[in-house]
This record gives sequence, C-alpha cells and structure tokens, in this order.
Amino acid sequence: MSSNHSASEQQGRRHKVEGPQKHIIAYVFSLVLTLLAFATVIAGEVNTMFTYILLIVMAGIQVYIQMAFWMHMKDRGHMYAIVGILTGVFVVFTMVVMAEYWVWW
Amino acid sequence: MSAHSHVDGQLPHEPEKATLEGRNKVLGFWLFLGGETVLFGTLFAAYLALRNQVGDGNPTSQELFDLGLVAVATFILLTSSLTSVFAIQAMHKNQVKPMLIWLAVTVLLGLGFLGLEIYEFVHYVHAGHGFTTSAFSSSFYTLVGFHGAHVAFGVVWITILIFQVLRKGLNVVTAPKVYVAGMYWHFIDVVWVFIFTVVYLMGKVG
Amino acid sequence: MAHGHTVKRYSGLMDWLTTVDHKKIGILYLIAGGLFFLIGGLEAILIRLQLWKPLNDFVSPDTYNELLTMHGTTMIFLAAMPLLFALMNAIVPLQIGARDVAFPFVNALGFWTFFFGGLLLNISWFTGGAPDAGWTSYVPLATNTYSQNHGVDYYVLGLQIAGIGTLVGGINFLVTIINMRAPGMSFMRMPMFTWTAFITSALILFAFPALTVGLVALMFDRLFSANFFEVSNGGNAVLWEHIFWIFGHPEVYILILPAFGIISEVISTFSRKRLFGYSSMVFATVLIGFLGFMVWAHHMFTVGLGPIANALFSIATMLIAVPTGIKIFNWLFTMWGGSIKFTAANLFAVGFVPTFVMGGVTGVMLAAAPADFQYHDSYFVVAHFHYVIVGGLVLGIFSGLHYWWPKMFGRMLSEGLGKLTFWTFFIGFHLTFFVQHFLGLLGMPRRIYTYQDGLDFNLMNLISTVGALLMGIGTIIFLINIVVTAVKPKNAAADPWEDGRTLEWAIPSPAPEYNFLQTPLVRGYDALWKEKMDGNKGMTPAEPIGPIHMPSPSILPFVMSLGLFITGFGLMYSHYIIAGAGLLITFGCMFLRSIFDDHGFHIEPEELKDKGVKA
Repeated sequence: MSSNHSASEQQGRRHKVEGPQKHIIAYVFSLVLTLLAFATVIAGEVNTMFTYILLIVMAGIQVYIQMAFWMHMKDRGHMYAIVGILTGVFVVFTMVVMAEYWVWW
Repeated sequence: MSAHSHVDGQLPHEPEKATLEGRNKVLGFWLFLGGETVLFGTLFAAYLALRNQVGDGNPTSQELFDLGLVAVATFILLTSSLTSVFAIQAMHKNQVKPMLIWLAVTVLLGLGFLGLEIYEFVHYVHAGHGFTTSAFSSSFYTLVGFHGAHVAFGVVWITILIFQVLRKGLNVVTAPKVYVAGMYWHFIDVVWVFIFTVVYLMGKVG
Repeated sequence: MAHGHTVKRYSGLMDWLTTVDHKKIGILYLIAGGLFFLIGGLEAILIRLQLWKPLNDFVSPDTYNELLTMHGTTMIFLAAMPLLFALMNAIVPLQIGARDVAFPFVNALGFWTFFFGGLLLNISWFTGGAPDAGWTSYVPLATNTYSQNHGVDYYVLGLQIAGIGTLVGGINFLVTIINMRAPGMSFMRMPMFTWTAFITSALILFAFPALTVGLVALMFDRLFSANFFEVSNGGNAVLWEHIFWIFGHPEVYILILPAFGIISEVISTFSRKRLFGYSSMVFATVLIGFLGFMVWAHHMFTVGLGPIANALFSIATMLIAVPTGIKIFNWLFTMWGGSIKFTAANLFAVGFVPTFVMGGVTGVMLAAAPADFQYHDSYFVVAHFHYVIVGGLVLGIFSGLHYWWPKMFGRMLSEGLGKLTFWTFFIGFHLTFFVQHFLGLLGMPRRIYTYQDGLDFNLMNLISTVGALLMGIGTIIFLINIVVTAVKPKNAAADPWEDGRTLEWAIPSPAPEYNFLQTPLVRGYDALWKEKMDGNKGMTPAEPIGPIHMPSPSILPFVMSLGLFITGFGLMYSHYIIAGAGLLITFGCMFLRSIFDDHGFHIEPEELKDKGVKA
C-alpha cells in the first residue's frame, strides 16, 4: 500500500499522551473572551466602530485557540489543513469586503 | 494491508491515522471544512449585506435579539466542544467507555442548543420577525438556520457513531469516524463564535 | 492477511451502476458529458439557425431564451466539467502511480449526483418550459415576478444537485493527489495534467460553496417567498451578481486549467522534448488559480460599483495575462527545436495555442473597464468567451481524448478521421466566432432573438451560422471515428505513441482494474521517459507482487443521487412529502454506508499471473 510520506513520518513519531489541563485552560480562556464580548455590548457607550473591531478581534482569538488546540491545527502534519482553512478564510474575506462596500452605494 | 487487520491487535496511539483510509478521511474532511468555511462565509456576506433591510414597522435587530438566551446557547455549545475534545482524548488513550460517555454528553448539549434555538425562532416569529418578513429576516434565518441544521446533523451523526462503537468496538475503522465527527463539532462551534459576534452582538450594537 | 470475503461482482448494466473503479467512472463521465455536449451543441445550432438572417422566425422569442439559457448552462456544467472529470478520472491516478483514488465510493457518488442533476435540468424541456433567464440567471429576471413558470426552479435545483457531485469529486481528487502518490512522486515531479487537476479541484472546493449558497437563496426566494433578491422587501439584485461571479469566475479557471494541463502533456510528448519551464508552469498554474478569486467584479463593470472597485478589478484581471503568457511561451519553447509529430492530438494542441492567445487578447481588452462599457453585452463578449472556452477548453478536450483514447479503451482512434475532425472543427470554429468580434463592435447586442435588416449584420451572421454547422460536422466525424474504432480489435500497445513520458504509459492499454501490478518507484520528472533514457525496460517496482486490495462495488451512490433527484421534484412542485421521501432515501443510504463496513476484496497474485501483465 503506497502511503504518504509526511503522514507516515508523523505517525511513527512517539507521542506522549496529553492531559486535559491544556484543554480546560483553552475552555476557560474562550469563556472569558465570550463574557468580555457580551459585557462590551451590554455596557455600551463605546464608539461603535471600536466595538466592532474589538468584537471581531476577540472572536478571532477565540477561534484561533479552538482550532489550534482543540482541532490540533498547531500539531505537525496539519499543513494541508492550515492551507485549506486559510484559503477558505481568504475567499470569505473578499466576500465580506464585497458585502460591506459593493452591494449598496 | 487492509484496514481491519489491526482490529484484533493493539490499537495504535492515534488510531484515526493508522491506516491510509483513515488518513484520507481526516485530510478529506479538513478540505471539506475549508469548503464549509466558504459556504458559511457566503451566508455571512449575504447577511451583512442585508442586515439593515428591516422594512417599515418590523422589529430591528436591537429590538429583537435577546442576549441572555444567546449567552446560554453560546455557553452550551462551547462546553459541548470541550466535551468532544475529552471524547477524542479518551479515544487516544483507548478508553472506550469514557469516550462514549463524553460523546453522549456532547449529543445532549447539542440537543439543548437546538431546543434553545427553536424556542428563540418561535419567539421571534411571534414578535413579527417571520422568514418572509424582510430581507434582513430571510438572511438571518438562512444563516442561523444553516448552522442549526449542521448542529442537528451532527447530533444524529454522533448518535449513530455511539451505537456503532458499542457494536463494533473502537478500531482503526471506527476511530477515524469518531475523530472526524469531533472535527465537525468543533467547526460548528467555531462558526457559532462568528454568529454570536457578527449577528447577535453587532446586531445589538446596531 | 487476505480475507476470504466473497464480494458480489456484477456484470452488464449492474456493473456500470455499481462501479467504484475510477477508470469506469471516467468512461461514465465521458458518455454522460458527451451526451450533454451533443444536446448543448444542438441548442447552439438551433440558435445559429434562428440568427442566420434578419427577422427570422425559425424559433419564437421565448424558445430562443430557453435555448440560449440551456446552451450555456448545459455546456458549462453538464458538458465541459464532466468531460474534464472524465479525463481526470481516467488519467490522474495513473499519472501518480496510484492503485485507486482516495474515495472510490465518493467518486461514484460525484458522478451520479452530477448525472441526476443534469437529468433534472433537462427534463424541464418536457414539463412546461426550460429555464430562460440566461446561464447567469440574473435577478430580478429570475425571480417569481418575471419567471413565473418552473423553468428557473429546474435551474436552481438541477445545478444544486449537480454541484454537490462536482464538489465531492473535487475533494476526492485533492486527497488522491496529496496522499496517494507513488514513492518518489514528489509534487515537483508530478505531470502537468495532474498539477492542473489538483489546482482545479482546489478551485472547485472554494468556489462551489458560494454557488450553493447563491442557489439556496434564489430557491428560497422562489419557493418559500424569501427576500434575498426581492427589491420591494429590501433585497438586493447586485448581491446575486456578486455571489454568482465569486463562484463564476473561478469556474472559468476550473474549466481552462485542466485544458492547459492536457496541452502541456500532448505538446511535450509529440515534440519529444521535456516540457519547457516546468516549474514556472506550476507556478503560473497556482497563480492563475489564486488570482481567479480576485477578479469576479470584471463581469460587473457596468453595474456602477465605482471607480475604485473597477480600477482594482481591472488591474487584477490584467495581471492574469502574465502567468497565462508564461504558459504560452513555455509551450512555444517546448516545440522549439523538437522533432514534432503532427498527430490528431497534437494538431488540436497546436491549434489551441494561437486560438487561446486570441481569446486572451480580447480578455485584456475587456479588462479595461472604460472600454468594457463599449463591449459590454455585445457580441464581442460572446466572441471572447467562446474563443477561450471552445478554442481553449474544447480543443483541449479533443486533444486529450485523441491522446488518451488508447489508454481508456485499448483502441487507437483513426488518425485520418481525427485530422479531419480537427480541420472541420477548427475552421468551423473560427468562421463562427471570429466575425462575432466585429458584430459586437458594430453594436449587435448579445441575447437577442433577432435583428433588423440593413444594419450590416446580415453577412457576418450568415458566415457565423455556416461555421457553426461546420463545427457540427466536425463533431459528427468524431462520433463516426468512435464507432469505427469501437469495432476494431483491442490491440493498442502500452505506449502506443512510443514517446510516452509519464506513468500512465507504463501499464497496459486499457489499464487493468488495479492499475499497477506493483507500485512503481519514481526516479524523476517524466518518470517513464527517465527510465527509457536510462535504458531500462520499464519502471522499477517499489514493492514485491502481493495481493491487491480493491473496494467493493456499491449501488448506494446511484440510489443516494436518485433520492436527491426525487427531492428536487418534490420541492419544485411543493409536494413536501415527496421531497421528504427523497431526502429519506439519501440519508438512509448515508446511514447504510456508515454502519456497514466495506471490507473490499483482494486480487491474489495467482490471479494476476494468469493475465500476464507487467508493472
């Protein structure tokens, strides 16, 4: 059976079994970010544009944490996964620009 | 070497990647998620373009959205993402029973999320925010509904997998399925992060 | 290790309905895509017959709109893409030295969903009217207000179902190329056709979901009174154009890139030279794929997006001329100093180069936004995209079919008939479309069913119609060639062109169901050519002869797609029980596929020896 080089390399590597601590930390971090996001909106009284940017940044961090740790994208052997998701994100970015600037004028 | 030759022996550390079939499945699913990113991205783009097209006399996003409900839904889905991580961890340690329990918890949380979403939608419809009310409402229900349909599909999928593992045990055929379902579930949560940010929180800000 | 599973092996029709063999699926794509190509071609000829003289009444305006819409939709989605998928299925696994594709079952599913989607679309002819809003199905024309019959519903649902097939097919090729390459087949040793198949599959993966959402939105508008594009309720018509072209522009690169790959293979083989500038060719392919996502609004210059958007998209579009130019020069330099054999396949390839350059030049002209205001919606645009799609893609497909026919069927197509096909089709093509540039510049708008006398349109339209008929004759000659070839003995050699460079020529023609008796060891670019130059008889095997694992055939892909087909009908005519039943069939098949493991079966070494095949 022919096999992929990078994947079999990665499979042969010894792996220490990881504990749940890391994931619980990621969970708590996500929770805090979520609470902050809700709190920012409920508190109000901040510049709208600033709120938008803050919200997007916090969502971005949270998504990064979850994809890197929970979906193991930071581990080796995930090059194609990263390329795939980032290409998708790039296409989405062009579409968001479209939706914001080129639909109504 | 066929996939089931490992079945009786010792399960490798990462059973989802032990066979070429398994590695193909995981890679193919990652690429599928790249496509799903564009799918949801397009739905988001449509929503962003139409979010202010509320129409006269219809409730706006500020009047409509109930952040308390959304916060609970977010908490449930985030927690379910953690429990599915625990399930995969248990799988990597070849602990079948804890894995099944964590998967079952994930399914229950998913059902809870769906229940809340249905309640929310019914509430909105009664508030005069039907699917056909305005461009805003159509794009809102399509985006959030697509996500909800993904959750529902995931719930059914993971339930089927639980019964499969009960019958067939954990082996190099079933392990990639569980792993891939876990990836799917995380992805659903990632999409929800953007939904609560872009749709609900930004909608509340106005 | 070999398990004694007795897998039921079908024969006859059941064999074709249940096959998961990529070579057979390739042939299925060829048959189905070829059939739709003939239907689309017939529609084209009817269009040209209507336009051969001013104020003609050969077809009614309504029928003309239907013909126009179905010609475009059929040719793009149901003919061009499946024909490319036919060649990709038949050849890509062989070129990378793989026994099979990554997901044989999904591959079969991809074919059947495409087939049933196409069938659904074409049934509209018999149920009260085909779609008539153009292949781009622009709103508001495509909304309920202006398209009251079910035509556009067929468009929306048929393409949705066919699109699912294309998407899963694309994922299958991506994973196959990433994970299933033979030892030594690094990315930078992959044949050019495989590279273009790879990039095309990536474009499919990232472009088709946008179409999915666009079609869903239009479907919701039409069937469930949503308001995405309903201006009176806050919807926006420009949004459809954006979503359609965010998909639609990558789509044209999805079509042309594999044609580039075919041309690279054919020109290299028949010039008996290594492809000039291989790595720049790879780079250009990737770059075209990437830029393809940033130029969609050049289809919308006249919408009024403003000078900033128009300038951005104008520049991005012109940039694409650079990697395309790299390719053109690489083909020329490959031929330069080679000992060129003008086989039928190579005639198509050599004819492709100048034809495609002409399409590219008009593309750059159209990319200039201010000038585009003049060309827009005129026959100039029609001429442009037919030069790149027919002059590019279709010539490429003909070239590939003549080139790989022996590998797919074990028989050589007749060279004489092949050359006749080329000359009739090529001359017919230029007759048809060259004059359309000038019709456009004279002001003839596209998508009109007739024109007035005395506008200087008459002669050129007549020439165009004569050319279209000549293209039809060329296609008929190709069909005759197929029939003539089919009755000849199956005696093609493993390397029938004698100058084969890539791995598919290392195995018998047609390829056995397991492709390679022993997985080959790849020692360089143009793997087989390298062995030939080193004086070796064939490829060095990378493994001893052993039992070969094969996936079992399955009827599920067929039934699953049938379920979607039924769902489409149910949705369209608001019979939700039927729609639900269809979905139940599809999800039921998914369930069955999930719970019953496919153990496949093994072909034992003893069986292999009987056939006397060499790796």
